[in-house]
Amino acid sequence: MTRSEQGRHRERHDPHWIEWLTGLVSALLIAGMLGWVGWEAFTREAMPPDLSVTILATQKAKAGYRITFDIANSATTTAAAVTVIGRLMDGDKIIEENHVIFDYVAAESKSTGALLFETDPAGRQVDIRAAGYTDP
Amino acid sequence: MTRAEGDKDEFSRFVTGLGRGVAGALLLALPMLMTMEMWYLGFYMARERLFLLLLLNIPLLILLAHRIGFEKTFSWREATRDAAIAYGIGIVTSLVVLTALGLLRGGMPASELVGKVALQSVPASIGAMLGRSQLGHDEGDADTKETSYPGELLLMAAGALFLSLNIAPTDEMMVLAYKMTTWHALVVAVLSIALMHGFVYAVSFTGGHELSPQTPWWHAFVRFTLPGYVIALAISIFALWIFERLGDSSPVEIMLSVIVLGFPAALGAAAARLIL
Repeated sequence: MTRSEQGRHRERHDPHWIEWLTGLVSALLIAGMLGWVGWEAFTREAMPPDLSVTILATQKAKAGYRITFDIANSATTTAAAVTVIGRLMDGDKIIEENHVIFDYVAAESKSTGALLFETDPAGRQVDIRAAGYTDP
Repeated sequence: MTRAEGDKDEFSRFVTGLGRGVAGALLLALPMLMTMEMWYLGFYMARERLFLLLLLNIPLLILLAHRIGFEKTFSWREATRDAAIAYGIGIVTSLVVLTALGLLRGGMPASELVGKVALQSVPASIGAMLGRSQLGHDEGDADTKETSYPGELLLMAAGALFLSLNIAPTDEMMVLAYKMTTWHALVVAVLSIALMHGFVYAVSFTGGHELSPQTPWWHAFVRFTLPGYVIALAISIFALWIFERLGDSSPVEIMLSVIVLGFPAALGAAAARLIL
């Protein structure tokens, strides 16, 4: 409990036990958090971003087709301005090429997005890959 | 004094209170009203999260009203009335400013218009409530009051929430977390705790807290500063979740952004103990 007088506050000398319990639980939580982050700091090596794309679904949109995918970064560094290029191919011939830019793909995280094509991807090869990134 | 004069006096005091509320809403919410991410959030954020934020703002305002109030509030009924007024001022101020800045236009869908105003009304209403207490000094505040322990923790939560709302929606938050290493995060966490304690106990601001001479310093550290920091972190997680900043990030990345946002939130929590 805190007593306020003329703008000053004075903490009571004989607090209720609940204040100590709260303090103790908080101390444990903070120690746990710092311990975890500290452990990560010692054990985690900095690796350059490692990006991989997984196609999730192909859907018919109002105009054309939508291919949704997720892009995973398995490394411990975040990639910025990640350009993803998608190609529809018939054998060696590129029918359609589109790209999309992700602002960020965080370290050890996933982001989802979609590419839009005019041509029906069914029966054709779909190639979606990350083409480049910048360091944040 | 006749009854009519008394009524008139009361009326003018009430209007002054409203004016201070608008001033407070403008001063404290203008940074958010002029932040691009906040306009975008107004239309893309999940409606259930926006709804939750709007609902949670009500008990927060009532609590603040009970503590500081537009008028001196003694009962919870009056506090509820004042909270409603502050929310109203927040909505009207956001509506006027957003319209004046050309961010609300006729062609926009209703959900976008409502979303933008509703999101901004939360910080604006807190600003309106604080404006009353910080801009006005007509009554002597030298009276003795006691704050219960949960009350003290709730004040810290309110302060942390206000600063988090300012900062959580910005892209800078995530960029910082991406740029930082875990070592930086450790430093920020320790710095947050130290500053929080220093603000309230070591530096002699008006409104600062002091300990009885016979109480060792770590008593207040364990009882107030550490729980305050946990509250600041919890509010940071909440704010990041509300603004959909967590996404599919890994636990470590989430922890880093929580620690980054925890820095302003911790200072906000400490400031609330000094000011309120």
